[in-house]
Amino acid sequence: MSRWTIPLMPAQHAYPHDDARFRLAIASAGIGMAIVSLQGRFVDVNPALCRMLGRDSEELVGRLLHDFSHPDDLPLTERLCASLAAGESPSIEAEKRYLHRDGHVIEVQLTSALMRDADGAPQYLISQLRDVTAQRTAERALRDLNEHLEQRVRERTAELEEARRRMEAFAYGVSHDLRAPLRAIDGFTVQLARQAEALDEQGREQLSRIRGASVRMGGLLDSLLELARIGRAELRPARVDVSLLADWAAAELQDAHPDRRAVVRVQPGLEAVGDERLLKALLTQLLRNAWQFSASRDAVEVDVEGERRGHGLHLVVRDRGIGFDMAYAGKLFEPFQRLHGSDQGAGHGIGLTIARQIAARHRGRIHAEGVPDRGASFHVELLDLPLPADDTPAHEGRGWGAA
Amino acid sequence: MSAKMAKDILLVEDNPDDAELTRIAFAEAGIDFRLHVVGDGVQALGYLRGCSTSELPSLVLLDLNLPKLNGREVLEAIRADPATRHLPVVVLTTSAEPSDVDTVYELGANSYIRKPVDFERFVEVVRQIGLYWLALNQPPGKA
Repeated sequence: MSRWTIPLMPAQHAYPHDDARFRLAIASAGIGMAIVSLQGRFVDVNPALCRMLGRDSEELVGRLLHDFSHPDDLPLTERLCASLAAGESPSIEAEKRYLHRDGHVIEVQLTSALMRDADGAPQYLISQLRDVTAQRTAERALRDLNEHLEQRVRERTAELEEARRRMEAFAYGVSHDLRAPLRAIDGFTVQLARQAEALDEQGREQLSRIRGASVRMGGLLDSLLELARIGRAELRPARVDVSLLADWAAAELQDAHPDRRAVVRVQPGLEAVGDERLLKALLTQLLRNAWQFSASRDAVEVDVEGERRGHGLHLVVRDRGIGFDMAYAGKLFEPFQRLHGSDQGAGHGIGLTIARQIAARHRGRIHAEGVPDRGASFHVELLDLPLPADDTPAHEGRGWGAA
Repeated sequence: MSAKMAKDILLVEDNPDDAELTRIAFAEAGIDFRLHVVGDGVQALGYLRGCSTSELPSLVLLDLNLPKLNGREVLEAIRADPATRHLPVVVLTTSAEPSDVDTVYELGANSYIRKPVDFERFVEVVRQIGLYWLALNQPPGKA
């Protein structure tokens, strides 16, 4: 390794601080400035540098820069000086640490230039030292904060993941452990009903109420589970024929209620890019809702319409049921919020929450418009989900619903 | 359904209410059978290992949430043993977790049926299980 081997400067050499203007420029500079001999000694220092190091000029002049440098930076100092002396560059810039009189570390942005005489012989160094301690401290604090934040985010993510797992375990427990006693209630009620001749009319009616309640509760548990599942289901985006799904959901409802007269008009050719299973569930929920709240009508009448808007589908499901008061429109999609009693067709109060959840998973929204006794319409905005890379683009002909 | 030969069914069910309801449902469905009930997975495997080939049940009805060995572990053990590898196993449970369904088929279940809450529908489910597995289905090695 090269030592600092700059040729000695003749002692009688004239320093530039003989020049009054030059001296004034250095003295009045806002940043630390120094004339440094080729041996590395302070020849002259300005007041800003004195303040920076917490020392008088008398304490500095004649002393080696080394004496005030952070010990860890000495190899760096030597490298820089060697580079300057070798004439590799007219000036160098570096960040170095110095020590204040009271011992604290000062971080300095150092610029040094080698001055040469008319013959090109090195004469001395002019160094500018800018105190960047506050800036570096702030940057480190920010970096620490960022790392801390990232750590916090990791921790919180892990906590959320854990909470989600617990939630899943809970949903599973609800499914299994609450259904089992419910099945026992229903099953043994049926056994009891076999001996119903021992009961009077009121007793038989009460038995039938128990059965009704247990079956309703079973449906409620199923709805809660479906809601939990939709929130965490893995999306499988594909081109979906929404019209076909609407017809399918309507056919299933008709099968479940063969005595109910229903007219479901579905606009053909409604298309979306989404999860087919979830979109089917969405249509089932909306149609069932229309179905339920048309209980007092001679026939269920529903229109399913829509149009492509940008990269999505605007879907409308319109019924002619009992409608609702717009004052309560915000409550419709909240779980367990019901605007009507079960005598008017109300279900578990989860169906529309499921519908909203499905719309949300398609980056969409849902809202309802209603007029009491005139009907309700549900507007769903579905944004197309990104298709897997190997799928052909949506506008390439009519490949919809092939999956 | 006219086969007069008695059929053995092994029901693995820890909940006595469920076991009793299943027994009643089989009786109501009019299935000609002998129902053996065990309350956990260890007992289930013990029962099967105690059977000679001709004594093996025609069907195992397996719940998933069981004490000691759960239903998945029982199924794995049944499939790992050459003596019971081909035994028809119908998972009969209250869970309808898609992950359970997939796991259970992965482990070699023959069928997965969720018990409905409504008892009358359960009787219908049991009737169809009996019809299919005990009358229609031709099991291996028993012909």
